[in-house]
Amino acid sequence: MSHQQESLHPEEFAEAAAAAVADALGREPRQAAAVLAASGLFGVCAQQERGGLGLGLEFGVPVCEAAGKLQLHFPLVEQMLLARAFGDSDIADALVAGEKIGVIAWQGSVQQKSATHAAFADACDWILVADEDGASLLQAQSVSVQANDAIDPEYPLYDIAIEAPAVQARLSAKAWAALKNDAHVLYAGFINGLSGKALEQAAEYTATRVQFGRPLSAKQVVRHTLARMRLLHEASTAALQRALRENEYGSARPADTAFAGAVSNAVFIIEKAIHLHGGMGFTWELPLHYSLRDVRKIEAAFNNGQQLENLGAQFIAAA
Amino acid sequence: MDFHSNPIIPDPASAPDAYRSHARAWLRENLPSYMRADSLDYRTPTLAESSDWEAAMYRAGLAGMTWPEAYGGHGLTLREHLAVNKEIGALPMPESVSSIGKELAGPIIMTVGTEAQKQSFLPAILQMREYWCQGFSEPDAGSDLVRLRTRAVQEGERWRINGQKIWTSGAAKAHYCLLLTRTGTVADKHRGLLMFAVPMNTPGIRVAPIRSIDNKESFAEVFFDDVVVPDSARLGAPDEGWSAAIRVLSIERATNRMYRAWRFECELRQLIQACKSDTQLSRRLQETYYQRRIGRLVCEIDALKGLVERSVEQLMSGEAIGARGSLTKLFWSECHQAFMALAQEIVSQVGPASSPLAQRARKHFTTAYLFSHAETIYAGTTEVQLDIIAQRIMQLPKDI
Repeated sequence: MSHQQESLHPEEFAEAAAAAVADALGREPRQAAAVLAASGLFGVCAQQERGGLGLGLEFGVPVCEAAGKLQLHFPLVEQMLLARAFGDSDIADALVAGEKIGVIAWQGSVQQKSATHAAFADACDWILVADEDGASLLQAQSVSVQANDAIDPEYPLYDIAIEAPAVQARLSAKAWAALKNDAHVLYAGFINGLSGKALEQAAEYTATRVQFGRPLSAKQVVRHTLARMRLLHEASTAALQRALRENEYGSARPADTAFAGAVSNAVFIIEKAIHLHGGMGFTWELPLHYSLRDVRKIEAAFNNGQQLENLGAQFIAAA
Repeated sequence: MDFHSNPIIPDPASAPDAYRSHARAWLRENLPSYMRADSLDYRTPTLAESSDWEAAMYRAGLAGMTWPEAYGGHGLTLREHLAVNKEIGALPMPESVSSIGKELAGPIIMTVGTEAQKQSFLPAILQMREYWCQGFSEPDAGSDLVRLRTRAVQEGERWRINGQKIWTSGAAKAHYCLLLTRTGTVADKHRGLLMFAVPMNTPGIRVAPIRSIDNKESFAEVFFDDVVVPDSARLGAPDEGWSAAIRVLSIERATNRMYRAWRFECELRQLIQACKSDTQLSRRLQETYYQRRIGRLVCEIDALKGLVERSVEQLMSGEAIGARGSLTKLFWSECHQAFMALAQEIVSQVGPASSPLAQRARKHFTTAYLFSHAETIYAGTTEVQLDIIAQRIMQLPKDI
């Protein structure tokens, strides 16, 4: 840990990040990129030589949590991941400065000539896609994108058709694997932000909504549901904090269990939050549905069901 | 038993790695195979054998880590306690036969006991010379201790106690009962609650074992009929003992048996190894249905580790743990109950032609499955924990 990291605390980033994210809300992607870049959010975990802060992922987590809490519709996590992964090239400079927007297609490959589960691919400059031995950063204008709006008509995922790709840069297999682990960390932060806010909203609503002469939160079944939501949010947060700490032997921990747990817990929390809002929860006006869509999109992008099976299979093999 | 009982214990402050290695090596070298739940040699240890084992652990520096040296402890911090507990959890060893003494009575005595009580009781607990039971619950006062009726009446320098306790774990073997009484009436509610250290061989005490769901008699009804104890048996002043107990309980809820997450992982490994040893069960492990459930369990175990480690760090930095112990208690109890249900589902397929390890696993996990139903009841039921989280952590209003 550098001297700078020793004197900084991740939680101090949350407030500043929240202010920047709030400023970016409702803006077009290019404008939002400029606002977020001006606050240095893309470069928190990117190298200092590239305009970043050179900090560890633990400093990126509160930034992503703030984005989740405020329901930011911008590929912030992807931008941070790419700025960190391409730290040895001027690609990182452009990403950190918000001059370029990068996204990631989490499934498919260049060899398959198609990739899927890329958010904001219609508004980006570069798309990272897996290839035979790592991943390729493709120029967005060299591929065609098709919205898959089944889960989210406003902010769909995109399918990418790759016929004659122009490759801007590559990541080795090792660097691609590292990026995916980093993605587990930052997405878990983003997801915990989404679920934390949903819990907060549900608690506030049920405390003020009076039915049968008392607030909803006075009823035991509602209180217990909220308590369970809180428990799962605490579990997700603690699991992520643990994943960020080195193990007893000084090695980094994988973040796959923290990520998978965050997804499952967030689905429960957000769905319950929607339910506790009653008929209002079913409407478009109550923005909780955006959080549910976001979590489900991330769950799909990483095929979380398959991830859980892999975690089980890995444990079985090692036992 | 001949344990390597007086090893040199590395200083954790200057050599944390050596300290951890010592804990790991000592436990692995000394745990008898018949105490290992995953061993074909396993049998239920006798009380004397368990006691010898735990006394040897203590002499090896692996019990009483955080207790003051003046009372027989090792004067270390919760970090060392956690480090040792991780190693304890990593092995399939029996639960302590003195957990009430080590995790409840000891900390309460340390908080409110007189110096003489501390000197008398605390070393004896660690050295496994004296076991304790917990006399809190009553037939009409389970989760709701306000309804407690067992009465203590002062008669000069003595107290006369009458009443009944129930669900008292380990009462038949205990030397002392950590007894909660009231000096007034039920109408006094939380006022006038008074705690005692009552020798279980005091005339007037009768223990009636209760057969539990796992076909054991590990807990009992305890009757107190005109039991007379000296004033020196009192732990704190009226109200003081109970309020201390509440504080201790909140910490204990977060920190007792800190090894649980690591033990759950160990149990999962044991289950899988047993399955792998058997042709039919090993096929189960290839099914994505079970892989997914095991994967989910692995996530929960990691989250539980996170909750425990976070509690330790919070306590180490001087934060009060308060009601947050309820989060850990609720999480581990439900996680383990679901795990045991999964284990039961798997081992129920073990038959006479199954491998010896699988048959051993069937016996172990069936018993553990049945016992796991106690886990969401004792130390505050699930509903009590949910109430605490709603009320004290989330501060949800009951009215406006």
